[in-house]
Amino acid sequence: MADLLRRLLRTPQGAIGVTIVICIALLVALGPLLAPYSPEGLAPLNLYKPPSAAFWLGTDQYGRDIFSRLLHGARATVVMAILATSFGTLAGALIGTSSAFIGGRVDEAVMRTIDAIMAVPTLLMALLIVSTLGKSSTNAVLAIAIASTPGMARITRSVALAVRKQDYVRAAIARGERASFIIWREMLPNVIAPIVVEWTIRIAFAVMVFATLSFLGLGAQPPAPEWGLMVAEARKFMHLSPWMILWPSLAIATVAIGFNLLGDGLRDALNPRT
Amino acid sequence: MSPVLAIRDYTLDYLTQGGAVRALDAIDLDIATGEILGLVGESGSGKTSLAWAILRYLASNAREPKGSIQLAGEELVGMPVSRLGAIRGKRIGIVFQDPSTSLNPTLTLGTQLTEVLQRHRGLDAKAAEEAGAAMLARVGLHDPRAMMKRYPHEASGGEKQRVVIATAFACRPELIVFDEPTTALDVITARQILDLFAELQAQTRIASLYISHDLALVSRVASRVALLHKGRIVEQGDVRDVFARPRDSYTRRLVDAVPRAGSRLVHTQPSAETPMLELRGITVRYGRRSLIADLLRRPRAETIGSRDVSLDVKPGEIMGIVGESGSGKSTLARALTGLAAFEGEIRFLGRSVTSIRDMDDAYRRDVQIVFQNPDSSLNPRHRVREILSRPLLLHGDPAGRPLDQAIGESLREVQLGAEYADRYPHQLSGGEKQRIAIARAFASRPKLVICDEVTPSLDVSVQAAIIQLLVDLRGAPARARCSSATTSPSCARSRTASP
Amino acid sequence: MSLAYLLRRIGLTAYTLLVVSLIVFGVTQILPADAAAVLLGEAATPDQLAALRIRLGLNDPLWTQYLRWLGGVLRGDFGTSMRTGQPVAATMLEALGRSLLLAALSITLMLLVAVPLGILAATRRGRASDVAIGILSYVGVSVPEFVTATIVLLVLADWLQLLPATGYVPLTENLAQGLKHLVLPTLTVSVILVAHVARMVRSELVDVLHTDYIRAARLKGLPERRVLFTHALRNALLPTITIVALDVGYLLGGIIVVEEIFAIPGIGRQLIVAIQARDLPMIQAGALIMATTYSLANFAADMTYAALDKRIQYG
Repeated sequence: MADLLRRLLRTPQGAIGVTIVICIALLVALGPLLAPYSPEGLAPLNLYKPPSAAFWLGTDQYGRDIFSRLLHGARATVVMAILATSFGTLAGALIGTSSAFIGGRVDEAVMRTIDAIMAVPTLLMALLIVSTLGKSSTNAVLAIAIASTPGMARITRSVALAVRKQDYVRAAIARGERASFIIWREMLPNVIAPIVVEWTIRIAFAVMVFATLSFLGLGAQPPAPEWGLMVAEARKFMHLSPWMILWPSLAIATVAIGFNLLGDGLRDALNPRT
Repeated sequence: MSPVLAIRDYTLDYLTQGGAVRALDAIDLDIATGEILGLVGESGSGKTSLAWAILRYLASNAREPKGSIQLAGEELVGMPVSRLGAIRGKRIGIVFQDPSTSLNPTLTLGTQLTEVLQRHRGLDAKAAEEAGAAMLARVGLHDPRAMMKRYPHEASGGEKQRVVIATAFACRPELIVFDEPTTALDVITARQILDLFAELQAQTRIASLYISHDLALVSRVASRVALLHKGRIVEQGDVRDVFARPRDSYTRRLVDAVPRAGSRLVHTQPSAETPMLELRGITVRYGRRSLIADLLRRPRAETIGSRDVSLDVKPGEIMGIVGESGSGKSTLARALTGLAAFEGEIRFLGRSVTSIRDMDDAYRRDVQIVFQNPDSSLNPRHRVREILSRPLLLHGDPAGRPLDQAIGESLREVQLGAEYADRYPHQLSGGEKQRIAIARAFASRPKLVICDEVTPSLDVSVQAAIIQLLVDLRGAPARARCSSATTSPSCARSRTASP
Repeated sequence: MSLAYLLRRIGLTAYTLLVVSLIVFGVTQILPADAAAVLLGEAATPDQLAALRIRLGLNDPLWTQYLRWLGGVLRGDFGTSMRTGQPVAATMLEALGRSLLLAALSITLMLLVAVPLGILAATRRGRASDVAIGILSYVGVSVPEFVTATIVLLVLADWLQLLPATGYVPLTENLAQGLKHLVLPTLTVSVILVAHVARMVRSELVDVLHTDYIRAARLKGLPERRVLFTHALRNALLPTITIVALDVGYLLGGIIVVEEIFAIPGIGRQLIVAIQARDLPMIQAGALIMATTYSLANFAADMTYAALDKRIQYG
């Protein structure tokens, strides 16, 4: 692990990415403790205030402290995105590896169907699922998880197939190794690395989709301090206070950039040949 | 007469994180008009860097502390890039190693030929077309006009290389650099290209620098040869003199490493025992059924990898299997080790094996394989220790040694120190990786080891060492036999017991 | 490209559309909402509800309903909107036209900006302009459309008052005004597309510029301009076609958001409205049309790629 960290810090993407993500992790873990105010604390005398000593990032239309809402919202936005991506990755990895392992007609049929499912863009799929299940954070998570499964399945399968063709796997088969050894000790360590990279980058995407769903009113519902929702609400009061829109937007973008950079950094760090 | 190319005391450094690395040290070289100078060196010797230096296509971290390179008296070192345009292609030509990668896949062969004619000989489109066709005819391509309309993937390796050579000669440069032009071709085509080159050079009298790692090959065309070792020219002179009376120890090693028919490493004759391995009628098919093809009632596209092969291998024998690429050698190796389904019968130590299912643990222990490419036959995420321990854990150590000891002795057998056990494959050189692959194959004392083209990707001196290693391992207590698949007849000839 | 390949691609696209229709229908049919109740409202009696359900065929097994719907779709009949009572097909087609206009403008703008940016970044690799373009691309793909839209609205419409904020004017009515209203949405949608494609072009071109054949071309003494435009770009731009096709997916997502924010009555907007109102036939039609557009775009890209790529034998 320490070795991985060192390799990550060697590239600018890895270094910046891991820094941002660690900060995010801290915010998610400690956010609510660090928040100076309650996210729902109304202060009717302090509406639309710009950043000040009392309210570091300003206040919103109900006088709630934006900074505190951001800190609480970190959990809502980031954790949800990670959960959704992780479910999608697990499901996808399972489908992809099994399909690659079984091979032949079944594999071909499964992959063609996956390609067909991917003809429905992620946001659209998420919208459809949410429209059916109802608007809430949980349903949004489920929707994103389901929507990202086919993509992960396809990537897992192609990686598994590429590894399967390597001579060291052939050497293991020729030696007479058991299938379980080949899958766990020969293939999996080489398959996991690209999957982890993809997982990280998809978290960035999930953050954006989750925020978009909330923005459209189909994800988290008021008065939740979810960042996308904050931007949606802030739109009506743009001319009164640009800060209400600025901070949550910046937060979303920073998280997405951080995970994207980390993904790129991991790609280099996990490459065994460098 | 003044030489076409004169290199004096030329030195080249590369700036790296660890400081300046000297790639070329005080090089002195001359090439006269009409002369072919062979430059022989292994990978890492600097021969590629020298080619780049002459062409002035050096990397950004290259530094030239001293020396001069003169083309017909004109100094090239320090020449501004703007003037180089007049030199490249027009006065110095180059033929690269692999025509598949040095030709643009999205342009026709004709375009890639005529564009230099238009640029350097000032011809218009129509004249360039005519001249191009004439040149292609001269390099032995029939129907030049049709060839000019083709794309690279529609031509064979030999045809492509002829086009590249035609392009280089067409501009009538003063010097042409040939960077291993036949290495990527199969043996027969390579010979044809070599003959073509010799013929063209004799006709045009263009000074040529022929770079190669293969001393034997170079000695067939060059009149003079220079040997490059670790950036220095260790020997230079007439080809026959260098061969007959090598002065430098490195030269001597290279000359000795050249496999010669009649010089053998193995002197024992196989006993007239019953064969250990008999193959009868081995056929391997590849091919997939496509639904659309079935619907359209097309015949099933099937490739036959191996067709009805029968041969015997006696105990203690080294059997060389020689063939062109695509002749089915690797397929045979795969069938024998249970990696490809086959029809026919294998009789191993008296037992009959007719399918992969028949290959039990004993068979797997006794029949091992070493792959061609050491980069992909070792799992990049396993340390050497784990790689070597697998066969022992799987099949047990016949000598009953503790694991660490067995691994240490395996390493020693392939002439590597015990400290290699903790390393990862990417920390090893090509030769070292191949030794590990060999150690892994021999670890549990198999009775038959199949070596599938294990040397071509290595330098000649390393090849010789590996082959010697295999021969020596054969003699080790458990009498392992080796059957080798190779495209290099010279390698096989030095070892085969049966032709 | 052989007949077998063409048939195979067409067959696959047909299969894709079938699966898409199944997904769209299947996902929306899990809706617990009772279509009859939605139509008749709260005051309906159980008898009226039952009668309507029979008339709408809601008591039939799902498969029958699916086939009935699919049959209608293939004939061009998407049913009637539960919200407006108007035939869905007509509304959707009109909306689709507007969205396609927006999409076409966005893709054109994207190509005009992304390709030169990518080329610039690749040829000035490692230098200031490359790093700057790289950073901008990173930011571009990390900012969701609704954020870009909001910022663009804020700066260009509210503060600088350069362009109208929201609304739509058909081009046939007033070309100038119509285009003005389309500028901001097009800009917003293009941002992510440009970021993607510019990165792709750069990375492909960098790879190509390092190949042996480009090196050979340079050493043949060809001028750098010819090397770049005649030799390199052909190879670099081919894979870009695939990326542009994939980006149509992001484009569709972007269009949904952008139409909502800028109040453009395109298909995305219709979809959102339909989802809010739980208007089943509209949701199904909107989703199906969008997914079909994506599939057809991918099909077109495949065909273009196959026709242009000399290397691969498509058999």
